[in-house]
Amino acid sequence: MSLPPFALLRPRALEEALGHLAQHGSEAMIIAGGTDVVPNLRAGLFAPRALVDIKGLTDLKGISFDAESGLRIGALTTLTEIAESPIVREHYSVLAEAAATVASPVLRNMGTLGGNLCLETRCLWYNQSYTWRSSCGFCLKKDGDVCHVAPGGQRCWAVWSSDTAPALLTLEAELGIASPRGARWLPLDQFYKNDGMDRMRLAKDEIVTGVRVPARTAGLRGSYSKLRVRNAIDYPLAGLAVAMKLEDGVCRSACVALTGVNPAPLLVRDVPKALEGQRYSAERVEEAAQAVIRTGKPLKTSVSTPEYRRDILRVFARRALTRLWANGSGKH
Amino acid sequence: MAEFSVIGKRLPMVDAPEKVTGAGLYTDDLALPGMLVGKILHSPHPHARIRRIDTSKAEALPGVRAVVTGREFPNKYGILPIGHDETAFAVDKVRYIGDNVAGVAAESEEAARQALALIEVDYEILPAWFDAEETMKAESNWIHDEKPHNIEKEYHHNFGDVEAALAAADVVRSERFVCPEVTHAAMEPHSTLATYEGGRVTVWSSTQVPYYLHRTLSNVLAMPMEQIRVIKPLIGGGFGGKSEVCPLEVQAACLARKAGAPVKITYTREEVFYAHRGRPQQIVELTMGATRDGRITAVKARIVQDGGAFCGYGPVTILYSGALLGAMYDIPNLQFDGYRVLTNKPACGAMRGHGTVNTRFAFESLLDMVAEELKIDPVEIRRRNLLKPPCLTVNQLRVTSYGYPECIEKVAARARWTEKKGKLPFGRGMGFAGSHYVSGAANAINRSEMPHTTINLRAEADGTVTLFTGASEIGQGSDTIQVQLVAEELGIDLERVKLVAADTDRTPIDLGSYSSRVTFMAGNACLEAARNLKKKMCEALAKRWGVPVEELESRRGRFYHRNGTGKSMSFEEAAAVSIEEFGALEATGAYSPPKEAQGGKFKGAGVGPSPSYSYSAQAVEVTVDPETGQVKVDRITVAHDCGRALNPITVEGQVIGSVWMGLGQAVQEEMLYNQGRIMNPSMLEYKVPSTLESPPVDCLIVESIDPEGPLGAKEAGEGSLAATIPALANAVYDAVGVRITSLPITPEKILRALREKEKKKAAGNGGAP
Repeated sequence: MSLPPFALLRPRALEEALGHLAQHGSEAMIIAGGTDVVPNLRAGLFAPRALVDIKGLTDLKGISFDAESGLRIGALTTLTEIAESPIVREHYSVLAEAAATVASPVLRNMGTLGGNLCLETRCLWYNQSYTWRSSCGFCLKKDGDVCHVAPGGQRCWAVWSSDTAPALLTLEAELGIASPRGARWLPLDQFYKNDGMDRMRLAKDEIVTGVRVPARTAGLRGSYSKLRVRNAIDYPLAGLAVAMKLEDGVCRSACVALTGVNPAPLLVRDVPKALEGQRYSAERVEEAAQAVIRTGKPLKTSVSTPEYRRDILRVFARRALTRLWANGSGKH
Repeated sequence: MAEFSVIGKRLPMVDAPEKVTGAGLYTDDLALPGMLVGKILHSPHPHARIRRIDTSKAEALPGVRAVVTGREFPNKYGILPIGHDETAFAVDKVRYIGDNVAGVAAESEEAARQALALIEVDYEILPAWFDAEETMKAESNWIHDEKPHNIEKEYHHNFGDVEAALAAADVVRSERFVCPEVTHAAMEPHSTLATYEGGRVTVWSSTQVPYYLHRTLSNVLAMPMEQIRVIKPLIGGGFGGKSEVCPLEVQAACLARKAGAPVKITYTREEVFYAHRGRPQQIVELTMGATRDGRITAVKARIVQDGGAFCGYGPVTILYSGALLGAMYDIPNLQFDGYRVLTNKPACGAMRGHGTVNTRFAFESLLDMVAEELKIDPVEIRRRNLLKPPCLTVNQLRVTSYGYPECIEKVAARARWTEKKGKLPFGRGMGFAGSHYVSGAANAINRSEMPHTTINLRAEADGTVTLFTGASEIGQGSDTIQVQLVAEELGIDLERVKLVAADTDRTPIDLGSYSSRVTFMAGNACLEAARNLKKKMCEALAKRWGVPVEELESRRGRFYHRNGTGKSMSFEEAAAVSIEEFGALEATGAYSPPKEAQGGKFKGAGVGPSPSYSYSAQAVEVTVDPETGQVKVDRITVAHDCGRALNPITVEGQVIGSVWMGLGQAVQEEMLYNQGRIMNPSMLEYKVPSTLESPPVDCLIVESIDPEGPLGAKEAGEGSLAATIPALANAVYDAVGVRITSLPITPEKILRALREKEKKKAAGNGGAP
């Protein structure tokens, strides 16, 4: 499949990039690693007049950490660099684990953190060619007016499929955003809208520049579990990130976030309440697991069934919390 | 034991260097001056009448050089003489989402794409049929008017007295098995380049069957075969998906002729799924009767096969499904009722293990269930039902060499069956199964008396030999094996044999690379051609030396006079002498299957018979996570009887590849449909296993030395696929005690079965123990 025609703009500085976006408005689209944008361009899902390639903004690359201010990762840092970073692995293991599960080695070498955090939502009825989509009269998200996943509704359920987003949510990350109006930091959990069509709070003239993760979440016990048919390549059918802090076996903080089951990566709000201040018990874990499946609402957006994805979320929650908590006396 | 120079050696394939360096050219790598891009307009409807097509806007678009629709090339074709129901483009109706409506040749891909969008088609939507059982109940709106109730073909075979045998059996088990559609997923998408120059059409195409393509092009283009040339470049995998003529092959030729310019069409991955011709969905209802001591007394199978919108190889598929219930075990009474039906989905066809795979899954699963009921070990029950070849089975298949018993023993020993089966902790298990396959079909699908393959050899004065073969290398190693056989027979180095293959202007006819026929058939023809070449060389030397030709012999590339003159000559010198004597040194060999291998006389008896059968036994060891249902395959032990391993590397490659492909079908591959729409037409969503799901495969070779195979060889490329699936199903049962009868054996199905079992157990605890 050929790419549609577009102008390729290759800015060398952030201001230049922002200028392109300001000029082209909704006709522009940002591309970095291209692992998400290019297949979607080929399928005719996007038709930007201008593609703004930001790979030349070298300032947006790199990982740094200090014990006072925490972790900073530039938006153009590749997923391989994050997965293999000794800093991330030591202090924020849930993020390293999540990054290592994205797609395959070659795609992680190209794919960037910024791209993964701004990933287009996915659905079996959406990620198809023009011919294919025309065969069912298109869908709500693109060119049509009906949702094939939840017919009758006016809401798009295309699913959030990034692996790094839930990990960063459990770490209380903030997103750096630049625009002609200046730079700002936005808590990551305020960035996503849980709407398959309009997935994030990013204006057309804004660029995600990176993330910062506070020092207080460094050293948390963490894990990322991912359901997929193959152990490489596949997007998550369900994903669960956990970060928790223990003191003498008592849970001091606990955070669980989900991906692959809703149109946004979501923190499970009831988990802290269920676990904090508690010692490990199967009942506490079960309460958290129940909270997980109240938050995760998979629909028929993928090749696996909603029922199975829910079942597995519960198993993931039980297993991850048990592993991190029951065996976790002493050090946090 | 015969001593060989190049046979039986672990030799790299002759085409390996160009493939690993990237120098080799596949069809899509080819380009010609002035070449146009061909694109196809596909139907968005599963079943609709075409009221009108208006191509005028598309034709007017700058850069567009030709637009073709169905009415311009209405001649029907199909791989089987009984199934000519396809046309280059739909003439009056579209029959599946993805069906071919029109073709465009343009100067750029973008222009072609825009032109497709400008073609106006007025459709009258018709009711569509998607379900194999429902479609047979159709009273109107049949997919093809001449096929009432959407039944393409049905066959009813009855050998012995099945009902009486079942009535007398000590145990009778029946089960329904459902095997959804799967596809080949070859790395190379189909590609065809066609030219029309000087009144001749030349086609370079990713085909397993250049000869059939040649015939079909002649038919569709209404041109004599002499005006058409088909060349097969390197192929990036076929697995049966390129073993009948695919739409783009005739479409590229139609467009090239109309445009008067070279046209290349390469399918997108989505189009590969529309072209499909993969393994059809089959519902296998199987009944087995046995005596108390585990002897099978009767087998009854009803198989409904959802074939999609066209005939293709369908009747052959359904016939293999029934016929190859035989030739594996000794079954005295056998009944088969097979239905190959039409639905509004892409046409199915031949896929590695053609027709045998789903039946084998059902059979080997049911055999384990019978064994359990009789408290007989699964390996032991297989031992008790072996054939005693040479023999003729109840459905009249001739079995000569039979390495299955040795396969069973080797696998059982290597996998440590008796130590492990039933003795591993809960969640771990081992399963066993066998399978087999033909070494080529004994009856040609073109119903011709001509040889199935012919080989020409031409020697030069420097002793090099050129091997002209119509056989199609598709990655399976056929070029290598033919070169090895000729070099061995002539006693010369491999490097001295040059190969010219699969070019209809230059090479003799070979029926194609399908049904694992090439090693056996082209191999035998290679040996015969080489022997004929040596005979001619002996004649030349006899003349030169003035001795009777009977006194000459050749050994290891040297010719000797036996009767004490001490005269001898090297191959090179003898080649030069032969050319001096005769003007040229050429020889031919051919192969036709023997009459006694061609099967019975009943309707449908033509499919199943083979000059020889390969055998495979496998043990699969798994770990099942009872909370998630996820299966990890820890190890697969396989033994394959390939007659003689002409090249153990290629045998192992084929066997391991078969096992891996079987594994994909067993646990994760499935073409998902919604109202005739393929939901997963991509390599992302069609879940071929990645390297991470590929377990270690311990591959053992069994050499039964076939009496008619080339130096004793028979097939190696397909026979090991089928056993992987039931062996895995049996292993899951051993691990967690649930029997999954529908493919793929997904974690979700296992989890559901485990829960049902728990529920039953809980309910049972209330009553009697």
